[in-house]
Order: sequence, then C-alpha cells, then structure tokens
Amino acid sequence: MEATFLMNNLWIVVCTILVLLMQGGFILLEAGSTRMKNAGHIAGKTVFTIGIVSMVFWAVGYGLIYGEGNAIIGFSNFFYGDATTMGEGLAGSVDFLFQLAFAAIAMTIAFGGFAERAKLIAYVIFAILFSILIYPVVAHWIWGGGWLADHGKQDFAGSTVVHLTGAAAALAATMILKPRIGKYNKDGSSNEIAGHNQVFTALGVLILWVGWFGFNAGSTFGVADAFFGYVALNTQLAAGAGAIGAMLMVWAVTGKADVPTTLNGALAGLVAITASCAFVEPWAAVIIGLIGGAFVFFSMRFFDKRRIDDPIFALSVHGTVGIWGTLSNGLFATPELATVGRPGLFYGGGFEQLGVQILGVVSCGLYAFIVSYIILKVMDKSMGGLRVTEEEEIMGLDISEHGGYGYPENLTPPKSKSGA
Amino acid sequence: MFTTYEEIRAWREDTIRSVAEDPLQLNAFHDQLIYQTVQLAKGKVEREQGEVPAPFAFFLMGSAGRYEQSFWSDQDHGLLFEGDHQAYFLKMGEEISDGLAVVGYAYCEGNVMASNPLWCQSVDSFSNQVERWLMEPEWSSLRNFSIFFDSRVLVGEKQFLVHVKEKVFSYLNENTGLYARLVDNVQMIKKGVGIFGQLLPEQKGEHEGDINIKQTAYFPYVNALRMLALLRGVDDSSTLSRMAAMKERYPTVGSFEKDFLGLLELRLRYQVQSDSYEGVHLLPVKQLSKGDKQQLKEAIKQGHKLFSTMKSIMKKEGVL
Repeated sequence: MEATFLMNNLWIVVCTILVLLMQGGFILLEAGSTRMKNAGHIAGKTVFTIGIVSMVFWAVGYGLIYGEGNAIIGFSNFFYGDATTMGEGLAGSVDFLFQLAFAAIAMTIAFGGFAERAKLIAYVIFAILFSILIYPVVAHWIWGGGWLADHGKQDFAGSTVVHLTGAAAALAATMILKPRIGKYNKDGSSNEIAGHNQVFTALGVLILWVGWFGFNAGSTFGVADAFFGYVALNTQLAAGAGAIGAMLMVWAVTGKADVPTTLNGALAGLVAITASCAFVEPWAAVIIGLIGGAFVFFSMRFFDKRRIDDPIFALSVHGTVGIWGTLSNGLFATPELATVGRPGLFYGGGFEQLGVQILGVVSCGLYAFIVSYIILKVMDKSMGGLRVTEEEEIMGLDISEHGGYGYPENLTPPKSKSGA
Repeated sequence: MFTTYEEIRAWREDTIRSVAEDPLQLNAFHDQLIYQTVQLAKGKVEREQGEVPAPFAFFLMGSAGRYEQSFWSDQDHGLLFEGDHQAYFLKMGEEISDGLAVVGYAYCEGNVMASNPLWCQSVDSFSNQVERWLMEPEWSSLRNFSIFFDSRVLVGEKQFLVHVKEKVFSYLNENTGLYARLVDNVQMIKKGVGIFGQLLPEQKGEHEGDINIKQTAYFPYVNALRMLALLRGVDDSSTLSRMAAMKERYPTVGSFEKDFLGLLELRLRYQVQSDSYEGVHLLPVKQLSKGDKQQLKEAIKQGHKLFSTMKSIMKKEGVL
C-alpha cells in the first residue's frame, strides 16, 4: 500500500481524535461558565449527546450528507458499514469517523442555547432531530456536492456548516426557552449570572484551541505538500489575535479586562479562521482573528441588551463570528489559494466571492434557524414545555434531572417537596 | 425645641429642598438637623441614665466631617470624653445613631458611629488609638486613620479633637515615611473615563449603566487634599477650606477649586431627585445631559491631575 495513503489516513485519525477531544474542551468551558448546581448535568449531557449523534450519524447522517442524491440532500449509504468504500481519498471508515466528530461539535454548540434550564428529554429528542433534519442538510449543501458547493462557496473547515448551524439552533432554543431565572430585572437591566469556575473555562478554551488543529488542519484530508502546516499556522495566529482583540476591546470600552470575554476572543479567532484557514495569507489570519475577537465582545453585549440569554455565549462565538469568518473569505481569499471559488475583494476578485459567501451564510443560517425553531416549538407544545419547572431550575439540573450533584459536598439536596 | 426625632424629620422634609441648590447652605442645614438630633438624644439619655458625667465632644467624619454632605448621606460620627465613662457615652452614641436614622441619615455600613466602642472613647485612649493606627500602618488601620482625620466637632469640646490632631501632626513630622503608606492607602482610583474619552458606568447588575460618581470623581479630590492637609498641619476638615489653605504655597492646588465645586453642584442636582440614601452615589449616565457628561468627564480628569499634583508636591517636599 502506498505510503502517502497510509500517512493521509493516519493523519486524519489523529485529527479525528483531536476533534473528539474538543468535546472535553466544551465540557470544561460550559461547566465553568455555568453554576455549580448544573455542573454535573452540563458535563454529562455532552457525553451522552455524543452517543446520540454517533448512532444517528451512522444510521442516516452520513448518507444524507455524502450519499447519492441531488442538490438538496443525499440519499444512500445509510447504516454505514461497507469497509471497501473510499471517501475524500481516505479509507471510508476514517472519513466517516472524521465527519462524525464534526457533526457532534455542531450539536454541542447548539446545546449551548439550552444551558441551565432545558429538560433532559429535550436534549435527547432534539439531538436526534438536529442530526437528521438540520446538520446533514447544510453539510450536504456545502460539502456533500449540494447547490452551494456548485456555487463555489468557501468554507474550509466549517465556519458555516458547523459553527453557524449550531449557533442558529442555539438561538432558536434560547428564544423559546426564555432567559434563566434571575437573569433580567423588571426594568430590563441584566444581571451577571457568573460561571462557577473561570479556571475550568480557561482550560476548556485551551483544549478547544488544541483540538482545533484537528478541526482545521485535518480538513486538508491529507498530508500532501504538508499544507496542513500552513492551515495550522493560520489557525494559531487567528486564535492568538482573537484573544488579544477581545481583551483590548473590552478593556478599552468598559475599563476592565474581563476574563470570560478574553477567553471568548480566543474561541472567536478560531471560529473566524475556520472557513478561511486554507484560503488566506497569515497576515490576513491575524486581521480575521483580531476582528473576530472584537466582534465577539460587541455581540455579547448586543444579545444581552436584547434580553436574549446566552449562558455560554454560543450565539456570539459561533454565530456572529461564524458569519464573519465565512464572509472574510470574500475579502481575503488569494488567487493562489482559492482552489474552490474565486479570490476575495482585496485580491481583485471583486464582489463575486463575497456574494457567494453571503448567499451561503444567509441560506444556511436561515435554514438552520427556521427548522430548529419549528422543531423546538412543536416539542415545546407537545412535551408540556422544553423548560424544567421553576422549582427544578432553582434546585439545579444536577439534582432535578440526574438525582445527584456534580459537587455533592458543596450543595445540599432540597428538602422534601411536601413540607411547605 | 423638638420633642421627637420624627418632628426633626418633618422639619427636614419641609425645608431641605429650599436649601438644596447651594452646597454650603445645605451643609449648614444638615448641621442644624444633626445638632438638634444630638441634643434630643442627649436629653433622653440624661433622663434615663442621669446627667452627662463628663465634658465630651460629638464629632462628625466622612462627608459631614468635610462639610460636603449631599442631599442624602449616611452617618459617620464619634464621641470623645474625659475620664472613664465609656458605657454611658456608648448609650448616648446608640441613641444618637438611632435618632439620626429616623431623621433620614442611613446607618454607616462600616459602623463608623459613636455606638461603636472604636469611635467612642476617652480623649486619652482615643489619642493612643490613633497613634497606634499610625504605628502599625496596616491597610485597615490607615483607612481608619484617614476616616478619622476628616473630622470636626459639632457639639461639645472642640479642644478634644484639636488635641488628638496635634499629636498626629507631630507624630507624622517625626515619621515622614508614613506619607508614602498613606498615599498608597488611597492610591486606587476607580476608572471613570475610558481611553476613548467615554464615561465608564457599571457593566453588570442592578446598577448597570450608572456611574459611581463618589469613587470615580469625588474621592481623588478629597484624598489629595487630606494628604496635603496632613503634610502642612492644617486641621480644617473640608476639602474646599483645605484648598484655600494651600493656595498661597501651592497655587496649582487652588486652581482645582472650581472643578471640585462644579462636581459638588452636579452631584447635588441629581441627588435631589432620589428618595433615599441607597444608590445615591450612582448617576445613570443615560440621563445626564450632554453638558453634564462633559463636566463630569472634565472633573474626573482634573481629579486625577490633582492627585498626581499632590504626589509631586509630596516628592518635592521630600516625604515621598
């Protein structure tokens, strides 16, 4: 067997593991950004939704994305198991696993909008429906030979497919679920419901950062010309610039260098460069990351002012910045690197690529949002609400949904409900 | 004569708005209110516990001590007396602070009140106490010292306080290293203006959008002038009279007078609208007129300038 083929496969398995490790980053990020009484729940639900996504992706998800079909959806290769297939020049199993890990990331991002108030059963049902009706459709459009792929949409590793899709679902969820108890005052001013452990959040961000090399550099699908190194370089520069951009911005505007904002800035840099990491030069990666970091700060304030409670800032980090990252291709893609589509505005490509990117963002964002909204609304009506009761929310989801605390020594179970 | 605290409160409510435009008139009225409250409390304690056993001084600290009370303010006061009568005067201190609370002065959160044994002592033991604060210059004891130093006697023996302050001045003269510690103690100034020249209000919680005018704007003036008063041995307690006392020797200090007066007036204009002490230092930035915002920014910048002016004076005088 050819050495390059083996190396390609090995590289992508390594990247698959890195992308899976990003879930560990999300566990720490989300748990750290929320309250103690929900910590076990947040961590645990991340693991079991990976389980659900894996089953659904195996049964239908992969087939809907990459199966034989039309411009809208694929429709073959269900219940994946044919070891002789090839995908993207890789062993089919390797390609399948790598794609599965991406689907799971989109799911976890979407669940950011559920944090601290959704019923566990809502997670279970939405995980199944999202993995059948939402993620595969957008992924097929752009990566599976769908209508946006034909247009030359540039989304190298998934600013739109993974991040914007997840964030659009998170937006639908947080709108239907309404803000957490105590988040907003009667006069409309908002309270900070501080996360219980900034160290967890920071470590979560670092794990995500490391895992992102699998996400972006792995999207080369091989080792040819060691191009993955170039992608990794852009990724690193954008993440660093994002952290700096966000911290300088929050510091300048509010007078304090807020830690959660800084951490979100690093993630924003990563999300922003995800679409463009293979199409732009390193200096552009720095600009894209810096602007992503600055955007995330304003976006966090924007949603907060509009009484949209986004506990782990999924809307800003993955949504707002996912859009920016996708559009940045239309500005910075170079003629040499634009193997898909056309060069960006700043390289004489005119507005054509920017137009394609806008079309992609709007159509994918709207599709994911509208379908998520409908699904969640129907679930809301048919399940007697997506949200736990007020009493359960106050006692925390650890005890109400799982019967035990993430921090048993620090929290005492509520007294029996019968004793008024 | 008043016979209940409620009557004094009613007097306050009837009159205060008519004097609320001029900071000096307003403070004269506060003095009268507090004076009457103390007299009433003293009478009450005398009826219950017998005649006052020794000469005493009831003194004000904080904004009242500086003659800079606004429309609403909290209590900061103490009692000094001759001899060994703490139990009696603590009773009196309690009565006074309860009375003042009825009249409309919120209890001091930091417990700087004559009902607290720390602020209700014989002249000798208090004098030793103040000296100990300077001898063990820890953060909290220096904070106490700063609070103490903005003081003036409202009822009773003015000499008592003069005596304590004189000891302070001579102690500082012999231990000039303390100035650096005292400056450190008030060095932190809450940022009020950002790098784009914007006001920096609270970002979170129920006071979101409000700017803390006391910490961002007012404190640098007060702290700078207290340091200079200590340096020059001036026992006036108000920032404005301290400025006046510095004018001749340090003309630049005098030039900040109009900024400070403007700040007091601005604060007063907005405080008149609030109906209790709570949140009184917080101005909603959105409600400020363009001119007021400009004035506030200017006052904040000038405050910082004054604070560094104070430090360079200290350096020039060789104590920093």
